[in-house]
Parts: sequence; structure tokens; C-alpha cells
Amino acid sequence: MSPVNLSTQLAGITLRNPILTCSGTYGFGEEYVAYCPLEALGGITLKGITPLPRLGNPVPRLAETPAGLLNAVGLENPGLEEFLKSYLPKVRKLPTAAIANISGFSLEDYVLLARALQKDSGLAALEVNISCPNVKHGGMHFGTDPQSAQEVIAAVKAETDLPVIAKLSPNVTDIVGMAHAVQLGGADALSLINTLLGMHIDINHQRPVLANTFGGLSGPAIRPVAVRMVWQVFQAVDLPIIGMGGITTWQDAVEFMLAGATAVSIGTGNFVNPLAPLEILQGIQDYCEKRGLASVHDLVGLAHRA
Amino acid sequence: MLTEGQVVVHESLGDEEQRLRRLVLKGPIARTAHAGQFVAIQVQDSSIASFDPLLRRPISIAGISSERDEITLLYRIQGRGTEILARAKCGERLSVMGPLGKGFSLPEKGELWLVAGGIGIFPLYPLAQSALAQGLTVRLFWGGENKSFLESAGLSSWKDLGIPLQLSTLDGSLGQTGLVTEQAQELLEKSTASGGQIRAAACGPKKMMQAVTELFKNYKVSVEVSLEERMGCAVGACLGCVCTLIDEAGVLIHRKVCQDGPVFRGEEVVWDESC
Repeated sequence: MSPVNLSTQLAGITLRNPILTCSGTYGFGEEYVAYCPLEALGGITLKGITPLPRLGNPVPRLAETPAGLLNAVGLENPGLEEFLKSYLPKVRKLPTAAIANISGFSLEDYVLLARALQKDSGLAALEVNISCPNVKHGGMHFGTDPQSAQEVIAAVKAETDLPVIAKLSPNVTDIVGMAHAVQLGGADALSLINTLLGMHIDINHQRPVLANTFGGLSGPAIRPVAVRMVWQVFQAVDLPIIGMGGITTWQDAVEFMLAGATAVSIGTGNFVNPLAPLEILQGIQDYCEKRGLASVHDLVGLAHRA
Repeated sequence: MLTEGQVVVHESLGDEEQRLRRLVLKGPIARTAHAGQFVAIQVQDSSIASFDPLLRRPISIAGISSERDEITLLYRIQGRGTEILARAKCGERLSVMGPLGKGFSLPEKGELWLVAGGIGIFPLYPLAQSALAQGLTVRLFWGGENKSFLESAGLSSWKDLGIPLQLSTLDGSLGQTGLVTEQAQELLEKSTASGGQIRAAACGPKKMMQAVTELFKNYKVSVEVSLEERMGCAVGACLGCVCTLIDEAGVLIHRKVCQDGPVFRGEEVVWDESC
């Protein structure tokens, strides 16, 4: 039997395979080198950057919950200038596609970042975070109001020649409405989903565990919500979807692809098992072989047939 | 590195009331481990994936035997993760990442003073061993709740090292009554006056390490401290476990406890938690 074709087309770029890593869980690509060969991945999404450096939120920034993790890092990052100077040269040498992730507090912030990041930077695409829940006014407004979401994506799209991926927040009533809005704004692909806003209270000290009170929930606990949103958006919008939210095993990844994801991204799952991306890729491949599928792309949206 | 450590010893340590455990793992981590480093160990039963608890638990390395390919982890059962870890049986294989982080450094000569609060004693034992092997003079100040705790947490192994031990307990059941810093002050006064070259390493509650750093600073003795913070990835990727330091220019900066630490120079740590 011929091997399964893993090559994945997404937003005009060709990935080696459909396995990515999520922004904020994989640093700028160097941290996991000792654990997972990056050349085996379809790509990695870099830690989100803002125009100016940010120290982020005070600790505690993390709280573990049943099969989940709350985080309130607060977009700590070196800022655009330092990213271009100290990180980008190393990112360019990574043996896999690198997707930058940008965040802002105003339309101007996004424009400034998009203008600085073009195809000649060596990046594969730009993921626009319009949904950070951990920062006051931190993009969340853009992520919950369709009109603002459309505007910010259109503004980014006008400034960069890189493919633009809109990362949507699940903290909305109508995810399909948001997907439609960013499609109108010109997005080339969608990342679904960012973290779900949550909190955890320490009953011994009778106060919130996170210094920021609220945080974004990730991990297997949120997977059913993410799968449902991928399913709904796949039916309604004609854009490739990068599915994410609690993917830890290959079965999870297959589920996302059956729901309509063209690629999948591993986030918190890396913390549990740094080899998860490799094991997931192998699992998807075996699954396709057993089912007689010639290409991994044949899985996309398959569950919608019935 | 990501390895499977085989459980060769897993037993209760001392008085059961103290809820302390000794876990010896066989695997290659011992070959490259240094005192002050830690491992991130999976506590869930790997044969039935449940992802609850989700995250690995960071545990400091309390013993390194490169000849036998063994590391020792000492821990207290104090939450769901350690509760589940405590069930691991001999012969079982546990997924372990490590050795992680940057450990303690050793001065070339002179004296190394160790200051421990409670179970902060655990990572200091391999440091004492390395220091003695290098010919340094080592002294320990150790404070704990009571006699039962100190005896359970390895007092006899420390006695075997043949170094001076200054013990203190909160209830006075062993050693002096009170805090470790009170004991250290008297000796610092004497030793620095006679021109002794001293370096210190501290591990314990944050307030204790802060007090040690401030006290020793008065005598121009620099202290390395081992910080603790809730960790996500344990390799520096997620920025979950940052601490605040003040750099030489007086600027506040963040460093990752898992990757840049857990050992830092006490003088550069900003102890106020609101940063």
C-alpha cells in the first residue's frame, strides 16, 4: 500500500503535515528542541507578540483543574523590536514552518505588527489573536464583537502579504457569526479555539488562585466545546480551519479533522507529553492507512456526510 | 530528556504522620544531574490515560547516584498529584523529564553554609555531598516544625556526613526553639569577623529565604536560593512560572523558574509577590 499523503494545504501555504503547535505553549521554538524534533512537525505557532514589551501578569499564573489548565500569563513577550532583532533570526533557521502570532490593544497595534511582518521575514503566516482573555481590553473586544473583528482582520490583511489566520475566541454566543465576520475581513484561515474564560477559588484561603482572578481554560476539559465549534464553523464558512483545544492523543486529532479541521494544533498537550505531536501524527497516519484513505486531507469534515 | 524511570524503591520516610515518601528511580537522568535541578514527573497512571491530574509535578532531586543510574526524590503528600504518585509501585515505569533547570553552584574553596526550612532540606543533600567531595567545609542550619519532622526528613543521613548541624524547631522539641536565621546570625558574626570565606545556599519557604538573603547580605555573604512556582511546561515555553529579578541596572525583569532557575542569587530576587 502506498504511504498516506500527509501534505497539507492551508491558506496558500503547504505544510509537511497537519500537525502544528499552539501559540503560547511552544515559546519561540527553541524550548522543545531537546524533546521533539521540529522537522517532524507541520509547523509551530510562536508566542504572541505585541508592539511593546510586556511583563505580563503577576504569579500565580497557572491553576490546574480537572483535565484542564487555567492560565493568565497576560501576554508576556519581548515586544516587536526585540522579536525582530533577537528571535526572528533564530526562528528563520527552524526546520519547520513558523507562524507568528500578534496581539494588540488597538487597531493601530495590529496594523503596526502586520506592517513589520511580511513574507520576506521568513514566516509562513500571521495568526491574529483577537481573543486574549487575560489582559484588560486585551484584544477580547475584537474577539467578541463581529464588526470589530472584521475591521481588525481587514486592517491586518491590508498591511501584510503573509496569509492571515484569525484565532477566534470561544467566549461568544455565536461562533459562526464571528467566523463570517473575519471571512468578510479577508481572513485566509481560522484557528479554533482559544481558551475558555474560567476561574478557580482556593477554598482554604478563600480567594481566587490566579493573581489575575480569571484565566483561560485549556486542556482535554475544553475539547468537546472546541469540536462543536469546528463542526459549526465548517458547515457555515468556506475557510480552512486549524482545530485546537485539548488535543492530547491522536484520537482527539482525528475527531477534530472529522469535524472539519484541515490541520490540528497541540498546546497544553505538549506539557503532558512533549512527544504528543509526533505520536499524534503517527496515529493519524495509521488511522488513514487502516481506513484506506490516500491522503490525510480526505479526513477533513468526513463526519458531516451522514 | 524524556525518559522512563523505573521505580526501585518507594517507601514511607520516618513517621507516617509526616506524609513523607522516598522514591528511587532508575534511569539515565542521574548521569547528568546536578544538585538543585529537578524533574517533571507524570503522576497519572500511564496505563489508563485520564489526564486528571493533567500536569507533571516538579520535584527536586534529593539524591544522585551516577554509578547506579539512580536518582532519589523525596516528597510530601500534600495534594491530589502527590497522593496519586504515592501509589506507584516498585517495578512500575514513570514518565520523567529531566534533569531540568539550573542548580546550585559551588565555590572553589572556603565554606559553604546550607540553610534549610522544612522540606527545603531535600535538594541540599546532594549539594552537601558534592561540596564535601570538593574539599569544602560544609555547615547546615535546618529549621523544622518539630523533632518528629527533622528525624523523618533525613536527620540521620545528615549526621552521617559528619558536618556541624545547627537545628531548630518551632516547638523546641529538638535543637533551639525558633527560626534558623537566629542561629545563623550568631555564627555569621564570629566567622566573618575572623575573615572566613563563606558562601551560602538556601531552600525553604519564600519568607525564610528572603530573611536569609537579607541577613547574610549584612555580612557580605552571598546566598543562592531555590525558588518554587506553579509550573506548566517545565522547559521555559509557557511562561507560567516567572519570578521577578532586579538586574544590575536596577530594572525589574522576569525570569523563568523552570528554565533560568530554580536557583537564583538571593540578592537579585524581588521578594514582593505583587510584581
